[in-house]
Amino acid sequence: MDDLLADFLTETNEGLQSLDGALLSLERNPDDPAVLAEVFRTIHTIKGTCGFLGLPRLEKVAHAAENVLGRWREGSLPVTAAGISLILRAVDRIKAIVAGLESAGAEPAGDDAEMIALLDAAFRGEEVAVDGPAAPPQAEAPAPVAAVAEPEPAPAAAAPQPAAAAQPPAQPTEAGPGNAPQTIRVAVDVLEDLMVLVSELVLTRNQLMQLARTETNSAFSVPLQRLSQITSDLQDGVMKTRMQPIGSAWQKLPRLVRDLSHDLGKKIILEQHGAETELDRQVMELIKDPLTHMVRNSADHGLEGPEERRAAGKPETGRITLNAYHEGGHIVMEIGDDGRGLSTARISEKVIRQGLATEAEIASMSEQEIHRFIFRPGFSTAAAITSVSGRGVGMDVVKTNLERIGGIVELRSREGRGTTFTIKIPLTLAIAAALIVESAGERFAIPQNSVLELVRVGDGDGPKIEMIKSTPVMRLRDRLLPLVNLSRLLALQDQPVAAGGSSFVVVSQVGSQVFGIMVDRVFDTEEIVVKPVAPILRDVTMFSGNTILGDGSVIMILDPNGIARGTGLGVETNGEAAATLTAATRSAESRDHTAVLLFRAGEGAPKAVPLGLIARLEDLPAERIEQAGDSLVVQYRGSLMPLIPLSGYGAVMPAPGSKQAVLVFGDGAHSMGLMVDEILDVMETQLVIDGAGARQGFLGSSVIADKVTEVLDCAYWLHQGGADWFSATAKAKEVTRKPRVLLVEDSSFFRNLVVPALSAAGYAITGLPNPREALRLREAGEMFDIILSDINMPEMDGLQFVRAIRDGGPWQELPVIALSAQAEPDDVEAGREAGFTDYVAKYDRDALIGALTQAIELQVFARSIDSPV
Amino acid sequence: MTIPVTIPALVVDDSTVVRKVARRILEKHGFSIREAADGQQALDAVAEDMPRLVLLDRNMPVMDGIEFLKRLRDTYGSSEPTVVMCTTEAAQDRIMEGLEAGADEYVMKPFDEAILMDKLSMVGLAPEGFDPDAPG
Repeated sequence: MDDLLADFLTETNEGLQSLDGALLSLERNPDDPAVLAEVFRTIHTIKGTCGFLGLPRLEKVAHAAENVLGRWREGSLPVTAAGISLILRAVDRIKAIVAGLESAGAEPAGDDAEMIALLDAAFRGEEVAVDGPAAPPQAEAPAPVAAVAEPEPAPAAAAPQPAAAAQPPAQPTEAGPGNAPQTIRVAVDVLEDLMVLVSELVLTRNQLMQLARTETNSAFSVPLQRLSQITSDLQDGVMKTRMQPIGSAWQKLPRLVRDLSHDLGKKIILEQHGAETELDRQVMELIKDPLTHMVRNSADHGLEGPEERRAAGKPETGRITLNAYHEGGHIVMEIGDDGRGLSTARISEKVIRQGLATEAEIASMSEQEIHRFIFRPGFSTAAAITSVSGRGVGMDVVKTNLERIGGIVELRSREGRGTTFTIKIPLTLAIAAALIVESAGERFAIPQNSVLELVRVGDGDGPKIEMIKSTPVMRLRDRLLPLVNLSRLLALQDQPVAAGGSSFVVVSQVGSQVFGIMVDRVFDTEEIVVKPVAPILRDVTMFSGNTILGDGSVIMILDPNGIARGTGLGVETNGEAAATLTAATRSAESRDHTAVLLFRAGEGAPKAVPLGLIARLEDLPAERIEQAGDSLVVQYRGSLMPLIPLSGYGAVMPAPGSKQAVLVFGDGAHSMGLMVDEILDVMETQLVIDGAGARQGFLGSSVIADKVTEVLDCAYWLHQGGADWFSATAKAKEVTRKPRVLLVEDSSFFRNLVVPALSAAGYAITGLPNPREALRLREAGEMFDIILSDINMPEMDGLQFVRAIRDGGPWQELPVIALSAQAEPDDVEAGREAGFTDYVAKYDRDALIGALTQAIELQVFARSIDSPV
Repeated sequence: MTIPVTIPALVVDDSTVVRKVARRILEKHGFSIREAADGQQALDAVAEDMPRLVLLDRNMPVMDGIEFLKRLRDTYGSSEPTVVMCTTEAAQDRIMEGLEAGADEYVMKPFDEAILMDKLSMVGLAPEGFDPDAPG
């Protein structure tokens, strides 16, 4: 066989293998552009290559299929189930031809006219009946729709694949008849139907069991037991049909490790155990990326070079071990290396420096607890950025991705001996653990993986629900947590929540947003069978599906994403859908809402300030407020906090016995209180600020809830009250030269937020409204230590800006941090590709300062390497 | 005896077959070949050593040809290297998109020796003594 043909078969088989999964996920998410692009590319490549080899039959089928996919891709034709079935059939035909090619070395004879006619009809937008009488010309199973339980390559085949160029010409035929394990092709629809039927059976069984429990010594009890057992076995059996061995997700890793070992000048072997361990193919697709990332990490950071290993008395060749096994309803995967292990000392040092924990706290932590800090966003101890593991995207992204599918990741590390990450993920997403709660007499399921904690609120000493005007909030460990009133949100009952009433709060996290869902009762955690939402309810984003409980009642599964969106908590939910940056950018624009606190202070219009800037709201008793010279102070968390009056009448001591409402700004060490008359409300609004005629101390006015509202200029007030505080901080940092920061941000409002926050933290900051002015500064020879840039800007956006910086010139090597309203892993990736060093959410001051510190340290470090002293 | 001078070329395609075909044709005509399977690999290869010719596929995983091309031109300017875009999509706009992104020429797949060398001679890269009509 010609070696070109052998290459073709190898890569075509590889592409075809992933195609079924991609098409099936396309069926579930018909408008997922990433999957669509992948499917298109695979077919396109097959077609493009056929021409070189003279394979007209294959080329024609692939070409016709590509046409249909092309229209799907450009959006001029909707993706339909029938269309996908047709493409799957075309893929089956391609597989059949390839199989023939493989065994005979030439295309088998056959007529594809009918198939091509169907595809062409679909291309023209005509309705196509797929299950029609089209007679398969090959020895195919009747009307194949998808390959399931395909003969999987034995674990050994999943092991190192030699570089394609070095492939021996005689490629063993994996799918050849006779030598493969006995399999048949079954339509996925049939399997899905089976799954549904089994779920129904399980529910009926549960009902029967519940009835039987009341009857002792019934003649039914023994057969019922048996029925129960068989039902469970049947459920397992049906679940298994959706399973694939994990080895297929590992296939690319040997090559990756080989290339990495070459690039890094290390000797590495990859060991795989348990490649035959099975899991749901949907889950498998989702873990491929995190897995690759972790193996990269092990090779890059975990393992030492040969000399270092020799010096440590270890064999020169480092070892990365993959191990998979089942445990309960989970698959456990271990990614281990015998490298240098995590340095507890270095992590501790960094943790303390970034202010994530105090020295005392570190001292009381176990080694394992300290190691867990590497999962914090933006945390990396790698001394220098290497090209392999990239910059900015780290273990936090791996953790987030895994948590999104209900998985957890843990790590074990011993210094000098190596690190092992353990991932535990559910075998399937069709069954999930959920918390069953009740609100206004209705039960709901909340997916366990989005529940952070359960808080009982009541009259006791514990947390209480408080009201800021009509918005319920809860103080939980120094944090002001917005609450969602489920019964109001879902219009179950319209009675307002009574502050202080007794109930539960389910604390949930969506992305970086934490909020509480108020419920009346909490029952139990249950394994539920997730059923998709009926099409008629698909627009109700609050629900992600429904399920049937053991007692036969149907309950809805709440979608914390949808809830956060439904209440305008400003949560971004682009998820997988926003694979392209354009999509992400668009959604960012539509999401430009800010939560603001409305309050009254002095004369005139109500005032507003973004909620994100406020650390706490306090009602201070007048007795605690002390006079200090001309100003007022209060002992607050172990230090003196200046109180600045907003009313414009100077510092007036409140009447004894009364309480003073105070907005607290700043962090734990330094804070400042703004005295206001009354807190009015918390609102989600699109802040459009009209700067005309703004008084001192205000950025301008904005119409919020139909009222003209003055928006506070925090910079002004912080400077007003905190002169001492600023200089004190600045002095402390001035031991070394202040790092120079350039901020490019088109909104004057956000510039005004970031500039004071950073100058307070000891940075010399220059704020500019657009990239063009920034680039002019570059031309003028200005230099900075770091650049912060917004993403969405008119004329030239942040991505173009960073490309211009990376293009050359004196700023080329500078760290550039993206400031954005969203920080989903996809966006992070897109930003990173454009050249951003890091990605920080716009209102997250702590994360921003953390990222700045880290970027500047790395830069200093890199310089110390570049220029030997 | 003259010392043979080779022209460094980078073949970027996710298909091993296409890379191999291109390699055979180009090596026969005095090019020295490196290969890349996607745009990112190609960028890495270019950073390592600048070729004079890039034969570039459009549709690739990780980073497609257009994106690679934009970055290539963004980073290294538009004069070097010469980029010939491979395409199977005859549609005018696809070809235009490639040319606008900075390609110097395009070639339709499947190409053979005559077609490819013909295109290369148009961009002034066919080595001396090449006769497109001579039997391959």
